[in-house]
Amino acid sequence: MKGEEWYQTDEVAQAYDAKRFSRGGRLIDRREKRAVLEALTPIEDRRVLEIACGTGRFTVMLAERGADIVGLDISSAMLSQGREKARAAGVTDRIEFLRGDAARLPFPDDHFDTVFAMRFFHLADTPAKFLAEMCRVSKEQVFFDTFNDRSTRVLYNWLLPMGSRLYGREEVDRLIGGAGLELADASHDFVLPYGFYRKIPNQLAGAFRSADTAIGDTPLGNALASVSYWNTRV
Amino acid sequence: MKESLMEILCDPLDKSELELEVEERDGEEIIEGRLIGTVTGEEYPIEDGIPNLLPPDMRDD
Repeated sequence: MKGEEWYQTDEVAQAYDAKRFSRGGRLIDRREKRAVLEALTPIEDRRVLEIACGTGRFTVMLAERGADIVGLDISSAMLSQGREKARAAGVTDRIEFLRGDAARLPFPDDHFDTVFAMRFFHLADTPAKFLAEMCRVSKEQVFFDTFNDRSTRVLYNWLLPMGSRLYGREEVDRLIGGAGLELADASHDFVLPYGFYRKIPNQLAGAFRSADTAIGDTPLGNALASVSYWNTRV
Repeated sequence: MKESLMEILCDPLDKSELELEVEERDGEEIIEGRLIGTVTGEEYPIEDGIPNLLPPDMRDD
């Protein structure tokens, strides 16, 4: 697993949110949260499992909206941040965090209504195994994102500390089919890669994002998008 | 973790039942303790309220 060691240090975990979601990074955060909410709403009283929940930014958001949610991650440093966040938000009664292996989940078949993973599959060395396991414990929905090949992400990937796996459309279709899932909906975004948004000043980020979504709304933009969100049914 | 989580947690190795041993609790919340596989005999620690269900081959500690 590519991020396994890098994400486990306390320094990385503590600096994670500040580093990832400052400046233009906030536009990414907002878009990702919208993607999750659009796919998972209505969320109230639903049983949800988040794979690779990290510091719990989606986990806590969904608990605040009434989900009964479990966040699983491999890193205890990240999970400690998640517990802090849940306490601060006053949602500890709706949320559980635990350490585990996404390929061998400690849950029975079909327990959750929804299982989702954000920014996980780009770190996955055996994606088919992970997706099949997510499908096993879900009775309705599996939602995840991928970073795409043939996009600007290819360049950005060279700069990353932990490497990143890029997917083609055919590969995603094979993965979804192979896990026994059915694609219900897909959306594609970010002609400009995440790394670009993290580097530029706040004042410019909004303008670039507007241009990005304008291009993204065209067929060419769809083809060039660096991120895809996949909403599937069991 | 809250004790109610026991209703859904199972052994990651064979999905069999787990038994809970509590060392420290704060109301419903289990702070320290361990989960033991009733079939595998494997022990999974609970530390700082977070159960560690990583299979033994993935544990570094």
